[in-house]
Amino acid sequence: MSEATTWNRIQRSPGTMIGLALVLAHALVAIFAPWIAPYEVTSIVGFPMSPIGTPDFLLGTDNIGRDYLSRLMMGGRTSIFVALVAIAGSVAGASFLAISAAYIGGHYDDIVMRIVDTMLAIPGILFVALIVTGFGRSEAVLIFAIGFSYMPGAIRVIRSHALTIVPLGYVQAARLRGISVFRIFLRELLPNCIEIITVEFALRMSSSILAVSALSFLGLGISPPTPDWGLMIAEAVKTIYAAPMLVLLPSLFISTLVVGLNLASDGLANAIGLDAARGLN
Amino acid sequence: MLMALVRRLMLSCLILFMVAVFVFAATEVLPGDALDVYLSSDDLAVMSEADIDEMRQRFGLDRPAWVRFWEWFSGAIFGDLGKTLIDERDIVDLIWHPLLNSVILGAIITAITLPTAFTIGSITGYKRGSRTDAAVSTLTIVGYSIPDFVIGNVLIILFAVWLALFPAVIFVFSNASTSELLAVSLLPALTVIIGHVAHQSRLLRAGFIETMNSEFVERARLSGLSERRVVLRHALPASVIPMLNSLALYVAGLLAGLVVVERVFGYPGLGRELIEAVARREVHVVQGITFWSASFIILMNLLADLAIMALDPRVRSAKSA
Repeated sequence: MSEATTWNRIQRSPGTMIGLALVLAHALVAIFAPWIAPYEVTSIVGFPMSPIGTPDFLLGTDNIGRDYLSRLMMGGRTSIFVALVAIAGSVAGASFLAISAAYIGGHYDDIVMRIVDTMLAIPGILFVALIVTGFGRSEAVLIFAIGFSYMPGAIRVIRSHALTIVPLGYVQAARLRGISVFRIFLRELLPNCIEIITVEFALRMSSSILAVSALSFLGLGISPPTPDWGLMIAEAVKTIYAAPMLVLLPSLFISTLVVGLNLASDGLANAIGLDAARGLN
Repeated sequence: MLMALVRRLMLSCLILFMVAVFVFAATEVLPGDALDVYLSSDDLAVMSEADIDEMRQRFGLDRPAWVRFWEWFSGAIFGDLGKTLIDERDIVDLIWHPLLNSVILGAIITAITLPTAFTIGSITGYKRGSRTDAAVSTLTIVGYSIPDFVIGNVLIILFAVWLALFPAVIFVFSNASTSELLAVSLLPALTVIIGHVAHQSRLLRAGFIETMNSEFVERARLSGLSERRVVLRHALPASVIPMLNSLALYVAGLLAGLVVVERVFGYPGLGRELIEAVARREVHVVQGITFWSASFIILMNLLADLAIMALDPRVRSAKSA
């Protein structure tokens, strides 16, 4: 399929365009936040819980008087970073295991798939809770736990795609020519799985940002005083009667980011002819 | 057929065992033992070496890891999860009522989510490509993109803060009666239902489209049956199978949803117990809840596969061949 038709399809779908716009806006804010945020995120600069529209504080202040707009702008960076590193590692590891399992087969394939079955039996949040209990709460632990919990689903999807490629003529021809397993993996198999790997990455990226913020909300993820939307909501529910806006604003930020990511990745998947619904979990 | 059944059962047992090894290793072997996890640096500052050794002996932690694993595993599968570290309470006693409360909440959610999602999924699947389909698809993406804890808190602001119809935080003891629990489970249930209906109806839409494109539906059409009969008698019953296939994923998602929503509303369930146990570093409680939840998912997966074996003629013949 040519680039032009893919782009045309994307343009024809308003949902995808809205999604891309939301992602772009969030990306720009997240990247430039340290320069455009009006105040230092951890310093107390005004009266506690100033309402929206207070002079000098566009979106008011939080329960101890830190500027809310600055904290909201910075509040996505850590979760996006954690999700990005975790999912990049996760999808890379999953691609290697899935494609090699599909190509080598036999006992190796069996072992990989039994490990996948085992990990699929432990829901993501419980998995992270377990790892955090054992190893303590830090960003490194979080990245590791989230990366691992997303691997089994990705392995399943990529392996079933790789299984359709392994029996094809050019792969078998390469094998018969005596080319090393490593080269077949890099030159024949990986390039032909790259589309599905990209979609996996996009879909799991949005769901892992959801996961990171839910974990932070639960007290298992990012720890204070780092500004984070999930943490900010957990903090603000204590004063939900006095200042519901302190809950609603970070809610709006996290929701628009995930909605944008999902609309965009769903649209991209449709445009290159993959069904996005099947890879979700 | 019998061989396939036995093999499937053995697979479930193997996975159960591997989950147990993993759960135990992640909390008690790799980071040290249960005390290494439980004691904070403050505790270590005031406790003498002898105190710690004595505590280690009292909990039997001075024995090798595989002995402790076997004791824990053989207890856990027969309903004994050991004792808490802080006051040596029986863990099953501690989590029993929260467990039942979570089952009630989960059952309410499932009873509403699955039929609703099935209806939406099959209608949008049948009318795929239409305006309705496009609108509902976008709506479902928005629905499962918004985090559970955001939906929950927005409902609290709407119904508790602005309309003052409900209290914002639930005050019910974990051993409350079913009717008390039903009264407070409305908003928590609604919170999880919104996201899950959206997610499940998308999966079911995909499953229904696959069924409508399959050969036996084509055959039913060609043999002159009315469209109504083709859909109601042939396509719909068959699209139950993809639904069963994703049952374990649904249950896993539901458990995760319960953890979040119980925290948001203070509902006295297993999820709230889990988060509190993590905060107190009660290793054995976290282990127990995780292992039992995973066992439940494994059981659901097994039941779903058995149901598929019984229902799907293709699987039936492939397995017996």
